[in-house]
Amino acid sequence: MVGAAEEAQLNRLENQVDNGGGGAWEYLCLVRKLKARRPDKVLKHGLSILNNPKARSNLGTEEWTLYEQVAIAAMDCQRVDIAKDCISVLSNKFPGSTRVGRLEGMLLEANGAWADAETTYRRLLEENPNDQVVQKRMIAMAKALGNISTAVEYLNKYLEIYMADQDAWRELAEIYVSLQMYKQAAYCYEELILCQPTVPLHHLAYAEVLYTMGGLENLQMAKKYYASAINFTGGKNTRALYGLCLCSVAINQITKGRNKEDKESPELQYLAAEALVKDYKEKAPAKLTLVTSTLKSMKLIS
Amino acid sequence: MAEDLVLDTAIRDWVLIPLSVVMVLIGVLRYFVSKLMRSSQLPDAKALKEGQVIIRARNLKSGANFIPSKSFRARRVYFTNEENGLLHVPKEQAQNAQAQMFSDPNMAMDMMKKNLSMLIPQSLTFAWVNFFFSGFVAAKIPFPLTQRFRAMLQNGIDLSSVDVSYVSSRSW
Repeated sequence: MVGAAEEAQLNRLENQVDNGGGGAWEYLCLVRKLKARRPDKVLKHGLSILNNPKARSNLGTEEWTLYEQVAIAAMDCQRVDIAKDCISVLSNKFPGSTRVGRLEGMLLEANGAWADAETTYRRLLEENPNDQVVQKRMIAMAKALGNISTAVEYLNKYLEIYMADQDAWRELAEIYVSLQMYKQAAYCYEELILCQPTVPLHHLAYAEVLYTMGGLENLQMAKKYYASAINFTGGKNTRALYGLCLCSVAINQITKGRNKEDKESPELQYLAAEALVKDYKEKAPAKLTLVTSTLKSMKLIS
Repeated sequence: MAEDLVLDTAIRDWVLIPLSVVMVLIGVLRYFVSKLMRSSQLPDAKALKEGQVIIRARNLKSGANFIPSKSFRARRVYFTNEENGLLHVPKEQAQNAQAQMFSDPNMAMDMMKKNLSMLIPQSLTFAWVNFFFSGFVAAKIPFPLTQRFRAMLQNGIDLSSVDVSYVSSRSW
């Protein structure tokens, strides 16, 4: 995930290059390092470097990395012809390489020749059974074709070996949520929280899954996780604030008839409601009346 | 004779400097040869998995306060239960790391190759220096040494009266 400072730098470089200043190569390097996905810009600036023989020879050995980057960007922009040219140049230079083979597989995918792409990937996997990127491509292909269950199966097999790969856990969590398998999704989000406990997004997503699952215990946990998300973002995350309010309302509904001793202190939800109202006053005063009426009906503000 | 011997500058030019240069060059050569001889090892699936398991277990330990206790316990059991826990090693199978090093053929070959690549150049250098540069005083060590070092440092010189601070070229 790209941090805020890095994103600012990326945008600044992008503006600089777009407006005719130099620095296209630094921009491309930064995009590659951060794994950001900006195919149109990469394609435009990458091609401008590659088509200029002097600039190309300045790059030296980095030229081939640039070819790879431009090929992938071209495939993203559906410019399959450009991609094909780049890949043919690369395969002439590095025949029989796994990396180029992977690009060829991606080209076949872009053309829609799924069966051929699959045979290419399987062949690459036979030579190199532990190749992470090719395995991920197979998973992506299964997902693109709509074989979600195959994708899940492959992803599980991948995670059995590479269990420290956070992106894979995140992908699996999203797939499970889309399949409404919330318990498994909760497990994946727990895994993510373990890897990076201070990233509020994971807490938020976990809280949402718990809230969706329902049930008193899950709701109480969801409330805690919404609270921790608010804690990590300094109260600025509107979604977490809403989540907290809704959780409290749901919990109150379930525990209506029960013992008063079990009830948690209601301060948290009042605070959240207040914070919401303040937020809307600052940022979207037009919607303030809507928010206040909703919160009043939830009995969170007087 | 405890007086200072004056060493010819020719000794310095023709012995010390070439010897040092040769030492450095041999080190560089050894590095490149070892790079050539090193066989590229395909990452072993089992070793990969073990590494990843360790990372995951470490994450579990450090982030334990952030997940519900039920899921923490479930994961702990997953790692440590007796039948098929990932980190559980039954007592008989726990091997000594060194025994494993010798039994693994790849690693043993690698170690042998490395040792050889150190041995051969060293012995060659020794023989060459011995041949060319024996029998005279090469340098004077700035700090005083005891008599015991004489055998070590003055190998080509057969005078017992020379101060031990003067060393022969072989020792250099």
